[in-house]
Amino acid sequence: MELLQGTLDMLILRTLLLGQAHGHQIARHIQQTTDDVLQVEHGSLYPALHRMERKGWIAAKWEAAGKDLKREFKYYRLTPAGRKQLAREESRWTRVVRAMARITQSVEEH
Amino acid sequence: MAWRRRKARERDLDRELRAHLDLETEEHRDDGLPVDQAHYAAQRALGNATLIKEVTRDMWGWTSVERLWQDLRYATRMFARSPGFVIAAVLSMALGIGGNAAMFSLVNALLIRPLPYAEPGALLRITSVYPKAALALFRERSRTMDIASASPGSESNLTRSGETVRATGSAVSDNLFSVLRIPAEMGRAFQPGEQRPGADGSLILSHALWNTAFHGNPQVIGSVATVDGMARQVVGVMPASFSYPSTKVQFWIPARLDPSDMEDYWGQEYVPFIARLRPGATLSQAHSEIRAMMDVLRTRFPFPMPRNWNNDATAISLQADMVEGIRGKLLVLFAAVGVVLLIACANVSSLLLSRAAARRKEIALRAALGAARSRIVRQLLTESVLLAALGAGSGLALAGVVLNIFKSVLPPGTASMAGVTIDWQVAGFVAGLAAMTGLAFGMVPALSTARIDLAGSMKAGSARATAPRGIRLRGWLIVGEVGLTVLLLVSAGLLLKSLYSMSQVNPGFSPEHILTVRLTPNQSICAQRESCVSLYGRLLEQARGISGTSEVAAANSIPLDGTLPTLPFDVEDHPKSADFPAPMFWTGAVTPGYFQVLRIPLLEGRVFTAGDGAKAGSVVIVTLSTARRFWPRQSAVGKHVKPVWDAQWRTVIGVVSDVRQFNLADRIPESISGAIYMPYPQAVQADHQIPAALTLLMKTTARPLRVAGEIRRMARVLNPDAPVEDVATLRDTVSESTADFRSTIWLFLSFAAAAIMLASVGIYGLVSNSVAQRTYEIGLRVAIGATRSEILRMMLAQSVRLTLMGIGVGVLASLVLTRFLAGMLFGVAATDVVTFTSACVLILGIAIVASYAPAWRAANLDPVRSLRAE
Repeated sequence: MELLQGTLDMLILRTLLLGQAHGHQIARHIQQTTDDVLQVEHGSLYPALHRMERKGWIAAKWEAAGKDLKREFKYYRLTPAGRKQLAREESRWTRVVRAMARITQSVEEH
Repeated sequence: MAWRRRKARERDLDRELRAHLDLETEEHRDDGLPVDQAHYAAQRALGNATLIKEVTRDMWGWTSVERLWQDLRYATRMFARSPGFVIAAVLSMALGIGGNAAMFSLVNALLIRPLPYAEPGALLRITSVYPKAALALFRERSRTMDIASASPGSESNLTRSGETVRATGSAVSDNLFSVLRIPAEMGRAFQPGEQRPGADGSLILSHALWNTAFHGNPQVIGSVATVDGMARQVVGVMPASFSYPSTKVQFWIPARLDPSDMEDYWGQEYVPFIARLRPGATLSQAHSEIRAMMDVLRTRFPFPMPRNWNNDATAISLQADMVEGIRGKLLVLFAAVGVVLLIACANVSSLLLSRAAARRKEIALRAALGAARSRIVRQLLTESVLLAALGAGSGLALAGVVLNIFKSVLPPGTASMAGVTIDWQVAGFVAGLAAMTGLAFGMVPALSTARIDLAGSMKAGSARATAPRGIRLRGWLIVGEVGLTVLLLVSAGLLLKSLYSMSQVNPGFSPEHILTVRLTPNQSICAQRESCVSLYGRLLEQARGISGTSEVAAANSIPLDGTLPTLPFDVEDHPKSADFPAPMFWTGAVTPGYFQVLRIPLLEGRVFTAGDGAKAGSVVIVTLSTARRFWPRQSAVGKHVKPVWDAQWRTVIGVVSDVRQFNLADRIPESISGAIYMPYPQAVQADHQIPAALTLLMKTTARPLRVAGEIRRMARVLNPDAPVEDVATLRDTVSESTADFRSTIWLFLSFAAAAIMLASVGIYGLVSNSVAQRTYEIGLRVAIGATRSEILRMMLAQSVRLTLMGIGVGVLASLVLTRFLAGMLFGVAATDVVTFTSACVLILGIAIVASYAPAWRAANLDPVRSLRAE
């Protein structure tokens, strides 16, 4: 299933709600939590991350990865502005999903 | 600062993506993949890294300068990746723009820019030509104009401190320079009264002649030079920019006005008049004044003039007159060049369209990754404007070269043509053209690309449509291109056929192995007829002795040398009257061997012999067409003619066949009614004297330069003041007579070739592109049973259909437009069926060849693979 426009931002913000993560972790997480239904081309993540960073929804910092001290990753974390954005996106989504659900239900009942 | 920050970001992004790839590779390795495969899988999962960086960079935000710089860098990178496309596009543009820049310079300088004289709008040319007497009469009577005259110019011997050069001089009225309002650069212009006999010994030099023959000597004013044996005082030097009546004129002398010399005053060289309208006078007043003056002039002639002589004389603008010979040709060339530019634009536009189609997926991906639509459009526009700028740059570099080619094709001697250069106005014109064409052909693909629907475009599925809009638009471009190409090809074909007809013309003489040399002693040595006769007699005698030389002869005018000596004749059986004045005959003065040397066949009677000397009975030979015209159904031999002023009749002793004397197309002025030969010792020219300057003709196998050297040496001994020049083989003279025409054809052929090349690239591109876009459909057709030849035919049919439409358009356009070529054609109609048909067949053939390769590729697609490709 292809990713719908605008969905990627919300998926990223939601992932970061659980704590900071680097690009690869975010990609993996999105894939796993959606049971591989939503396939994100990893590459398309980065333009989105950089855009959101510029908008101030997320912040980034180079840090060593947990146990492996030699290796550094660019970790992204949610900012307060990002939390507000997520809330806005989610309420919009909920409205859309509810509307869709009503339509599909009425078709089934028919 | 900004630059350093961006560098840091670049490094940051690189590092981030590398870390991602490393991690992904490790995971695949942990899953059991070998190292290289793991790395490859990681890259596949990430996607196109370059593109990702590209789009990510966009997210950082840029200043407009940075953005432009980035667009340009991106465009150059795209160009470097497809050099073939760029070369084709830039060459197309360079050809079109270079040609147009050169053409615009010429048209601007010759047709648009006003003449370089003060108040050029008031300058007029009075049509037709007039005797000197008319100048005095008109100047005395005219209230609306100041009237001046200038002879077209003839070559003279100009001697200064013992050195003799051949230079072209024009005899002018004393007010010519004041009418044109051009002051002398040094010294003075002619003054009123300087045309009176005795006061007319002055001389004005052109800047160029002063620089060469007079070595730019500033003390030249007041010095004495001899022109054709008459001593004259240099009174002025004209500025370098001045040339009138043509660029070949190197000096000016006053035209002598001597009413007591009836012959010179009324009968000698007739010259054109120019005039400046006086303040307050109108053109229509000038017109009626000219009519009134003409009525008076006709009654003043000492011999009867036809009643309708110069009835239609009028005044036209001097500018129109000066470009008269060149205007038609210039406009035809201008149109042809414009057509090439149109084709080039259509082609580049079509190339860009096919590229846009090929880049559909890439652009869709950029859009999906978050690049703004306006940004994509701007990027595409940057590309096409950059392309146009490259084209314009190379076009400008080409313009100078093209300008020189054009100049060589146009008639030389047109005043002010030599000074035409590519100037800043042209640069502006080219820049405007480049920007406009760039935007014009950049806009089409940019808009059609940006219309891509984003939702369904990350996969290439949208390419399954059989004829997307881009293809249809390109189809129309191809139709237009083919149409324009047909137009150019038909024009080139018509000209080529004219050249062929011209080469098939029997010139009436054989130019093989004939060397010609012109000897130009001063006319003054011929004051005694015998001295000239004996000079040439001895010279011919000696020339016969040059080894390798078998036959020699001499004549005042040889075929195709551009001279037209003419005299008015009384003709037996044709009494002249007011309505039938004395006919003008081309008048050759030839030595006895002339007809044999040139192999001009004698049809009746006899040719001249040594016995036809100065004291023998006066005889002439006429050409066949002259004989038929004046004595139809009778023998011309035994009839009589004489120059109008002679008392004694001359007997026609022979008839020879006609010779293309003036040009191969035989377009001699209508005013000349016949051609007549006189034996040299009995010959006269317009001044009643025997011609002093003759051309020697030698049938020789020796090297031209050696023979010329020998002749020069012999001439120097016989007469030290007789320059020897114009050494040429008659064969060269014949081919040079069509050189101007051949270079025009060459130019048209190269236009047509360029057009064919552009059109075939266009057709090839269209078909390849449509094969690429219809891969799925073709696969489907093959899968459900279409044979290869059916596919081939289907793909060819597409381009054949477009080509046929283009041919239809082109034929219609040609039928309407080739009539403007009529003046340049010879022996072929402007709507020649054979030429039209050949052009159409050629274009169709080229279209099929150009589309065959991609069509064949389509026919050989593997259906399984082409279906799976989607």
